[in-house]
Amino acid sequence: MRGFGAFRDGRGFDITLVTLALAYLFVFAALPMLYTVVMSLQKIDMFTLGTLNRPFVGLRNYERVLHMPQAWRIARNTGIFVALSVLFQLLIGLALAMFFQQEFPGGSTLRGLFLAGWVMPALVVGAIWRWLLAGDFGVVNYLLASTGIVHNHIFWISDPHVALYSVIIANIWLGIPFNMLLLSVGLAAIPGDVYEAAAIDGAGRFSRFVFITLPLMRATLGAVVALSIIFTMQQYDLFAALTQGGPSNSSNVAQYWSWQLSFETYDISGGSVVAVLMIIVVILVAAIYVRSTRLEQRV
Amino acid sequence: MKRLTRLMTGLACAAGIAAAPGHQALAAQVTLHVWTIDFENLNQYMFPLAKEFEKLHPDIKIDVKHVQFSDMNNDLARASITGDAPDVSYIDNPYIDLFRSRGLLLNLAPMIAKSKVIDLSKFYPGPLAAVKYGDKVYGIPRGANTLALYYNADMFKAAGLDPNKPPQTWPELYADAKKLTNPAKHVYGIAFSAVASEEGTFQFLPWIQMAGGDYDKLNTPNDVKALEFWQKLIDQKLASPDTLVRSQFDSTATFNAGNAAMVISGPWELPRMSKDAKFDYRVALLPTMTEGSPRVSALGEGDNVILKQSKHPKQAFEFLEYLNAQMPRVWNEWGFLPAERVTVQNPKWPADYKVFLAALKTARVRGPSPQWAQISQAIQTAIQSALTHQATAKQALDTAQSQVESIINQ
Repeated sequence: MRGFGAFRDGRGFDITLVTLALAYLFVFAALPMLYTVVMSLQKIDMFTLGTLNRPFVGLRNYERVLHMPQAWRIARNTGIFVALSVLFQLLIGLALAMFFQQEFPGGSTLRGLFLAGWVMPALVVGAIWRWLLAGDFGVVNYLLASTGIVHNHIFWISDPHVALYSVIIANIWLGIPFNMLLLSVGLAAIPGDVYEAAAIDGAGRFSRFVFITLPLMRATLGAVVALSIIFTMQQYDLFAALTQGGPSNSSNVAQYWSWQLSFETYDISGGSVVAVLMIIVVILVAAIYVRSTRLEQRV
Repeated sequence: MKRLTRLMTGLACAAGIAAAPGHQALAAQVTLHVWTIDFENLNQYMFPLAKEFEKLHPDIKIDVKHVQFSDMNNDLARASITGDAPDVSYIDNPYIDLFRSRGLLLNLAPMIAKSKVIDLSKFYPGPLAAVKYGDKVYGIPRGANTLALYYNADMFKAAGLDPNKPPQTWPELYADAKKLTNPAKHVYGIAFSAVASEEGTFQFLPWIQMAGGDYDKLNTPNDVKALEFWQKLIDQKLASPDTLVRSQFDSTATFNAGNAAMVISGPWELPRMSKDAKFDYRVALLPTMTEGSPRVSALGEGDNVILKQSKHPKQAFEFLEYLNAQMPRVWNEWGFLPAERVTVQNPKWPADYKVFLAALKTARVRGPSPQWAQISQAIQTAIQSALTHQATAKQALDTAQSQVESIINQ
């Protein structure tokens, strides 16, 4: 009698599993993405969204969006936002991971507590930062002024030279715990005897970090950087809560702009164009991530 | 849900007929679906009025749904596509043209012509301009609000200013703001909102209009002066730099807390101010550009519309008539100004009411244009880039003007 076990060993079962996974990916990832690409090639707005009255206009939407006066500024802001956020999240995350690598009483509990910031909804985090960074009555300005570091209040959210960096600071704070956690796992995976051997060979702390920790962490670092880039490019809530991209787009980034185009001015085509351009960047980053996880398996 | 209700009503009727054969079925009950930005727990406008109407019309049931103000346009657009639009809805006055231009609103003119309740000639020009297109009418203003200048009379006295003489012109406003500003006590001379949202446009447009311009005439030398005037207030710290990120509600909170000596805002603030502001506050009309130059204020609040898809336009219009007949109550009960000439018995805050009503007579609708959202965004960008000196007032308004032109000629 052929039972379930035989079925599970058979080719049919394998094919079923593959089909299920593919069907899931197709319905919930590929279709929406393709739909976005299609919309970016059509003339479409909120009112024609559900109708068939949406003519294809080729790349004209792309041309239109890229010629908007704010386009390059937003591209530049997005670059700065992603680069600085990822860099500082990684540096501080790595420093904290190495700090908690030193065993001390309560160390692991404290490391757990660091995650508290990460589990908070970004909208809440944004609201708290908005309050901290308020120009006239903000806590940060109060501290800076009472310690004599600044004389005139910094208008964190309404000064166009500062606004983007205010969001970056909040985003770095938000992303540190996640970086620290992943990097801690990577550090823990490095066998202790490697360090011991190096120490016996006379390697100091610094050379052990440069010649052992960093090379052995390469795969982890690659993955963390890739994931951080992707998460940072998805960061919408902080902008909504803190600056709404203002003043006059000085802190606007692609992900927030895409939403503004689609849902504030009902220009679904324009919003889709920005989304598609972002998908391309994310796919590139994801390719790097996949490559680095493959390296990890080899290690 | 709506379909389910319909199905149930249908079933109930069918059951009624089946149970009483040969008996004339009761007049089928009609359910009107109504969307509003009002809150049920605050017993605002639509919720109590719908209940009152149901009592008077037992054959009509009203199903009121709250929609967030910021989601209303999107939700209404989506629902119209899928055929789930309500029968009656609230639409903010500058967006009537958007929905009208898409053919989603019912022209009420033929029904108004026969109506014994609604008389268009009684409406103030601003609110009427938002709904009337030629001889077609696409909504009934449910009320109105507008902007005026609140000022702290105690601070006026302390600064040696006459609290009975609020500023009448822009130069006077500037001079008073300067005298009232006191950085040591954390007091700004004036608060307003230049936030990058519709509120920023709402606050700025009257200034451009007082200078002779409008949303499609933004860069005349006088218009530039209007924006430069705002620039001057921020540059000299007579108003907080955070004016760029504060909503009207947040700006007024700084006035209530005594951190600003004047604030530009609307009548909706009166209930909160009467609780929070521990000083003698008064209201004056917005100052004009120069002595004797035209006075303009902004028009806020929205309209009750009937969607074209509605299957019960007759009953929906009866409901609109009932709502309109309650106009004398809107000030005292919900804090809107009446949008038409009606007698308000014992108005609350009588002195302030008089000022706001006078301001309303000069209030202009934003636009109208079917592309109002895009136009408004161009104006907000101009305000913000000039106030942060990323562009001069002239450059910013030139850019906005060319953007608006290309939006209109799209």
